[in-house]
Amino acid sequence: MATKTKKQPDTSLPMPEEQLQHVLYLLKLTRYFDERMEALYRQGRLPGAIYSGRGQEGTHVGVVMPLRPDDSLFPTHRDLTAQIAKGLDLKRVMAQFWGRIDGYTRGRDGNSHIGDWQGNRTFTVMSHLPIAYPVACGAALAYQRAGDDRVALAICGDGATSNGRWHEALNTSAVYRLPVVWVVNNNQFAYSTPNRLEFPVPTVAERGAAYGMPGVRVDGGDVLAVYEAARAAVDRARAGEGPSLIESVSLRWRGHAGHDPANYMPDELLERYMAEHDPVKNFETWMREHGLVDDDSLAELQARIEREFDEGYEFALASPFPEPGDAFKGNWTDDGYWASEPGRGGGTEY
Amino acid sequence: MTTIQMPQLGETIIEGTILKWLKQEGDQVARDEPLFEISTDKVDTEVPSPVAGTVKKILVEEGATVPVGTVVMEVDDGSGASDAAAGDGAAEPSAAAETETSDGSDAEATPAPDATPAAEPTAPAAATTAEAPAAASSTVTAMPDRGPRSGIVSPLVRRLAAEHGLDLATVAGSGSGGRITKKDVEAAIAAGGAPAEAPAAPAATVTPLRTPAPAVGTAPGQGDTVEPMSHIRKAIAEHMVGSIQTTARAWTMVEVNVDHLVRLRTSAKEAFRERHGVNLTYLPFVIRATVDALKAHPRVNARIDGDTIVSPGSVHMGIAVSYDAGLIVPVIRDADVMNTVGLARAIADLAGRARAHQLRPDEVQGATFTITNPGPYGSVASVPIINMPNAGILSLDAIVKRPVVIDDAIAIRSMVNISMSWDHRILDGEIATRFLARVRDDLERWDFAEDLGL
Amino acid sequence: MASTTVEAGAAGHGAEPRGKRTDDGQATYLIAIAEALWEEMERDERVYLLGEDIGAYGGAFKVTEGFLDRFGPERVMDTPIVEETIVGMAAGSAMEGLRPVAEFQYADFMSSGYDEITTVLSRYHYRSGVPMPVVLRGPSGGGVRASSFHSTNPEPWVAHAGGIKVVCPAFPGDAKGLLKSAVRDDNPVLYLEHKWIYRRIKEHVSEDPDLLVPIGEARVRRQGDDVSIITYGAMVHRALEAAAALEERGTSVEVVDLRTVYPYDEDAVLRSIEKTSHALVLSESYRYAGIGAEVAATIAEKAFEHLDAPVERLSPPNLPVPFSPPLEDAFLPQVADIEAAVDRLSAW
Repeated sequence: MATKTKKQPDTSLPMPEEQLQHVLYLLKLTRYFDERMEALYRQGRLPGAIYSGRGQEGTHVGVVMPLRPDDSLFPTHRDLTAQIAKGLDLKRVMAQFWGRIDGYTRGRDGNSHIGDWQGNRTFTVMSHLPIAYPVACGAALAYQRAGDDRVALAICGDGATSNGRWHEALNTSAVYRLPVVWVVNNNQFAYSTPNRLEFPVPTVAERGAAYGMPGVRVDGGDVLAVYEAARAAVDRARAGEGPSLIESVSLRWRGHAGHDPANYMPDELLERYMAEHDPVKNFETWMREHGLVDDDSLAELQARIEREFDEGYEFALASPFPEPGDAFKGNWTDDGYWASEPGRGGGTEY
Repeated sequence: MTTIQMPQLGETIIEGTILKWLKQEGDQVARDEPLFEISTDKVDTEVPSPVAGTVKKILVEEGATVPVGTVVMEVDDGSGASDAAAGDGAAEPSAAAETETSDGSDAEATPAPDATPAAEPTAPAAATTAEAPAAASSTVTAMPDRGPRSGIVSPLVRRLAAEHGLDLATVAGSGSGGRITKKDVEAAIAAGGAPAEAPAAPAATVTPLRTPAPAVGTAPGQGDTVEPMSHIRKAIAEHMVGSIQTTARAWTMVEVNVDHLVRLRTSAKEAFRERHGVNLTYLPFVIRATVDALKAHPRVNARIDGDTIVSPGSVHMGIAVSYDAGLIVPVIRDADVMNTVGLARAIADLAGRARAHQLRPDEVQGATFTITNPGPYGSVASVPIINMPNAGILSLDAIVKRPVVIDDAIAIRSMVNISMSWDHRILDGEIATRFLARVRDDLERWDFAEDLGL
Repeated sequence: MASTTVEAGAAGHGAEPRGKRTDDGQATYLIAIAEALWEEMERDERVYLLGEDIGAYGGAFKVTEGFLDRFGPERVMDTPIVEETIVGMAAGSAMEGLRPVAEFQYADFMSSGYDEITTVLSRYHYRSGVPMPVVLRGPSGGGVRASSFHSTNPEPWVAHAGGIKVVCPAFPGDAKGLLKSAVRDDNPVLYLEHKWIYRRIKEHVSEDPDLLVPIGEARVRRQGDDVSIITYGAMVHRALEAAAALEERGTSVEVVDLRTVYPYDEDAVLRSIEKTSHALVLSESYRYAGIGAEVAATIAEKAFEHLDAPVERLSPPNLPVPFSPPLEDAFLPQVADIEAAVDRLSAW
């Protein structure tokens, strides 16, 4: 029953209250979104694939919080939560899932293979891992050249750290001292491959040393801890001190994709993480403890979230399909397809 | 041994072109069976064999033009000793080969062709697309030897031939294995090569691949269809221009009340068809009337010959027939002795065979007067071009119901305009007009019913 | 053209300086390329270069000799051996407003950056509408005894991706004008410099810094009536040599230089075939699924009724480029092979 009187800014808080409320909103929204979408998927009402980020919201929201609108984010298919945190519109995200013209890629891609460079500076996800890492170097290079303090932040999973590109990108970023933050969302499984079969060292963070950059490991179940680590790395980059590596540890609660029952996931591990490292539950508890939320405000928040989801769902289904002829447009810049509003002629039903 | 000579199909014909050999050396041939196809100025036609036997030797190659009387083939009819003709046969380009006929029986100088020229297109069998060179390394990959390529017609050659109405059977091939190449076709076209027997209708056009650079003046522009003029089209053009430039053309028209003819025809046409096997049109009536008028005014049936005017004793009526290749004028010989039934039959026969490209050369010459009938297509008055050397050409236009004045009252009657273009060098206005008036009066007054043979 | 000397320049080691224009304004292909880069960098400060050994060393072939002093290390970036990241960085910086020209020391090494090229660079705009004005450039092609990792013709690999234009100039003037067009194009462009041409061909090249050669436009290098040779790159010069010899023997050959390989100037090709009715497609990229295969198929499809003979292709086989002179000469189409092919077509 906290009253809505204006308080003095509580300097013990890690960030202004407004932002904390926003963090809670994002955590709960994306959790709810994940649960509802999975349900729709299982009901056969969600076309295509779904790559759940459940249990990793602490990582996703935590690393994005320090970013400004003109900083860039380079995510993978797992990191939809981070993109929503960066500012993507839930309605258009859902239109993308249903392949509609109002989706961010106008139907060129689906589900979390999404991005909004023009609006929110997020790189449209590509499946190869971690193909966006070298591109993040490029954006950071541009910021460095421009002499401003913008930052590029790239996220990949534990599995992607095995790929040559990961090493190449980190190495190159350090050689040029690029303003980039390398985040590894270590949810402990790369599809079915656990960490111990993915890399020979105990942590990803210690690999930072090989590339001349600091590497920290944080508990992904604690969004504020993630936030702290990310903010420090972002500040470093803004100050021209070069790249950093953050390993945020969580667990992938669901299978790799909607179809994957994840029988390889040990039950005790999952149970423990759901009980002890649930970033949403943990942060809600923290907010309560700090008197920032109560049952009423939470109920209000939940209602808002459900409403937003329903509105997004409705928007998605009402958005037309792209026109079949669109398939042949928009390859070269010359044809003006992307410069104009999306055509609303509609295609055929799924 | 019987020698076959190039026939003379028409008085003025002095040479002919072998379009296609229908029999090869060694083939059996029955008497009257077609041996080869020839082309003359007037018509393309088949020449049948005067004897039964085996083809011994072909002395003139396809596409060659030789004077009338040239021995073109020898047929062994078992009638005597072998000839001593030189030459290799089909490929030999020599025109007039030496002939010796053992029994002195020549091929008829003018065989009476029992012709029913085939109307099939003579382009050789389907062009095959050549195989790609055998997949191999970069450098000296020899194309597989295709053996005799003479039968291969490339897409280009096929198209050019079609566009120009060129019968590839008349073109010599200088390419590999005797293949007809682009150069060969281009040369043949430039030489005014022999038309195909049945020009593909209409001449195929290839859409130009690129928009041609716009030329100044008369070059075809975008959207224009370009087709080369066929042999026959060129002949028609020449004849028409010649007529306009030579004759002093004048024109006169009369209106004819054919109400009763319309009623007669309407009531009788089915029975006529059943009885005589041909349709009854108005043309036989008009020809009957015209013939009578020609007899009454023989000058209209005449022609100029140098400084003289020749008036033939008979009327040979040319009837203009429109067909796929353009215009042709078969002639009803001695139309003056034919009645309506006979004329109807003759018209049906000639028009039908004209459209099937089956007319004989002598059937398209010798008209003393000509009639054209654009009426069925809808014109109410036409100014035709005189079919030289005739003195006049009559046009029968459409029969339409019109209001006319009869006994100072207005009535509706079936009326037709009959007009004549006439040559003022031979005729004058009075005779031309009287002639037409007679045609009109005959049509209006005669009772044709008894002439229908029903 | 068969030569048994191994050229030092081919391997890029100890190559002599780039050189200058002659007094009467002639420039080699190499100089023309350097001029284009220099002028574009002067014109637009967003243009920058990245690649291995391009800065201090001036580039393996000396294309960028002198650039570091003039434009500084930020705009002439020496990179580690990171082909994927070179391309990725080019892509990312282009997304943030720069106009990178990324050099591959040899076009052969583009395969190390395959993913970033075909997945990111080729596809990104289609999926998002964000332009990536990136130029990838590098020396390609053989005939210099440099063997299989220094003689590749990668045009088909990249053309096949679909979203990257591929340019292969054969003459210095075209090289300059096309590189400028590539830099100014908002789409990704692969610009292949055939190393055989670098110092061998020179001609008068314009000094007009805004003289552009349009991408996607072919040029008839020699008019003829009997047979068309459709080709690009170093093979243009062999074709011209063959055409001269054939002329003396009475065959008139038309040589069409595609200049841009993807998308190529179909109109120009078909116009030529319309004229001559005989087509020889000559490409240094491999025979199977190479550039020649596409052009030949299109001719057969769209110029069918203009052909008086089958469409012939002359290309090397899908094998590594060999080193030993007799092997490489057998591998690559030679002038004699071109003449023989034209003779075959004329006699068909």
